[in-house]
Amino acid sequence: MPLHRARLAAAWRRLTEGYARLLSWVLVLSVGILVVPVSLQIFSRYTDLIPSYIWTEEMARFLFIWTVMVGAMIGVRESTHFEVDVWPKVPPRVEAAVKLVSRIGVLVMALVFISAGIEFTRFAWNRISELAELPLWLIHVAWPVTGATWLIFLGEQMYGDLQTIIEGDA
Amino acid sequence: MTGSVLSPGVAALILFGCFFLFLFWRVPVAFALGLACLPILIIEPRLDTVTLMQETFNAYNSFILLAVPFFLLTANLMNVGGTTDRLMKLSRVMVGHFPGGLAQINVVLSIFFAGISGSSTADAASQSKIFIEAQTKEGYDLSFSVAITAVSAVLAVIIPPSILMIVWGGILTVSIGALFLAGIIPGLLIGLAQMATVHAYAKARGYPTYPRATLHEFFCASWLAIPALMTPGIIIGGKIFGWFTATESACIAVLYAAVLSLLVYREMDLKGLYEALSDTGRLAGVALFCVGTASAFGWLLAYYKIPEAILAGVQSWGMGFSATGFFIAFVFLVVGCFLDAIPAIIICAPILEPLAKAVGMDPVHFAMIGIVSLAFGLVTPPYGLCLMISCAVAGIRIRDAIKDTGIMLIPMLMVLALVIVWPQVSLLLPGLISPEFLR
Repeated sequence: MPLHRARLAAAWRRLTEGYARLLSWVLVLSVGILVVPVSLQIFSRYTDLIPSYIWTEEMARFLFIWTVMVGAMIGVRESTHFEVDVWPKVPPRVEAAVKLVSRIGVLVMALVFISAGIEFTRFAWNRISELAELPLWLIHVAWPVTGATWLIFLGEQMYGDLQTIIEGDA
Repeated sequence: MTGSVLSPGVAALILFGCFFLFLFWRVPVAFALGLACLPILIIEPRLDTVTLMQETFNAYNSFILLAVPFFLLTANLMNVGGTTDRLMKLSRVMVGHFPGGLAQINVVLSIFFAGISGSSTADAASQSKIFIEAQTKEGYDLSFSVAITAVSAVLAVIIPPSILMIVWGGILTVSIGALFLAGIIPGLLIGLAQMATVHAYAKARGYPTYPRATLHEFFCASWLAIPALMTPGIIIGGKIFGWFTATESACIAVLYAAVLSLLVYREMDLKGLYEALSDTGRLAGVALFCVGTASAFGWLLAYYKIPEAILAGVQSWGMGFSATGFFIAFVFLVVGCFLDAIPAIIICAPILEPLAKAVGMDPVHFAMIGIVSLAFGLVTPPYGLCLMISCAVAGIRIRDAIKDTGIMLIPMLMVLALVIVWPQVSLLLPGLISPEFLR
């Protein structure tokens, strides 16, 4: 039984790791691509090589939104969202307990992002953007996706914290 | 207040009470701001949690904030592409023979870096890796090395281009070109103050110096650095002459840094590019996510007209010009201890603006007081991002570097006082070069 559970946990960890790697690549690509529409905008103004597209500004903004959200997803997995540390140095078990409490805070936000995010996406279901005429839900759906992703990463981290609290080492 | 269940007082208590409570429990700042909004969104019948989604969406849906990842990317490309090395060599021949040579180089490189990148966190991250280990090897104290790296990094948001100026200009509709020009003199003064501090430390503690470079070495280093040194001219000039918008100028900075790395200095490989992009995305993601929740928080404050309530009290004190300036600086310094600079601008700058207007302060002068104060907030605990980054790289705790940081802040605060009481420090250059920007 414990062996079975360990194997399950390992499989789960591999899955989240793969997902995190995928997100990393999405992030790298989106940061790289962000430069394109803004450059187009500048060059089309000063040269005749390319026509001045009207959608560049909007494209840049929408891609930017996704970049921020994907960055925020990875931030939760890597615990890089900045926090204020007013606690003195405490033993690992207490440390794990405090972390668990702070992660419950993030968990609540994740649940809100999922539930309100779904409504937010539904709200944009039949609308299109003003300039590029993209379906708006493609942008709004970033919110519930972010919430769900946090949930996945948090599950793993909170499980780890709990283990530290119970077993007291590591 | 028709239509709201909560009075402004109760709403303010809930917002700030929850925020600090969550901060104490080490909930990340971005999430603490969002969570603090939740009780109100649930209680108030006209609002719901979708409001939070909408407000964060509105915050990110901004062409101006796009400048943030661009400036981070510029800095990262410079580091992987060899630009930083060239500038470092130039700094070495310029100030290496001063007492505390390596620490002086640290400050001067930050000044160069500040003229190209607009992000202090990027500066702190890259220079911590370069300097902290090198300085301790040469016999500098670790806490001194951490502190000087962190405080010199704040120059990046004071010397143009600057992310904070772009955000400030976007939110309060102040000319970003004028802000860019206004930052030059205060930034250089703060840089000088830091060099003087290093000098004093080096004399007191006997820190090493390098032999004086020959004139030939100076010209060689300058020649190699010329392409990099042209960047500020392109970015700031392009903005002032109206060739491109602030965000576009950041994009130009990226393109120029990429050209330098790929074609001129040719030190960037694919792995370096991947890392530059990945670091940029990660840092931009966490820094900007916070902007969304801070905007929601600020939106709720405005919804209950809490800023007006606070201001009514302050305005009855009847402060004069300088007193108002010091008050504004004080508020931003305190807020800067708990918040990152961009969210602090979003929440506080609109609140304080009427105060500055009432005493006839020029919007550009007001902005410089705010930006310089918030820049200092980047090294003041508990939430001083640059100090946190430098400490993390050095592997020490913030409290170990606080004393030296505090000492270094004193001369910097004196420059801030100068900026407050003498508006010309900020307004001279914009007044000379583009008076039409000043109202």
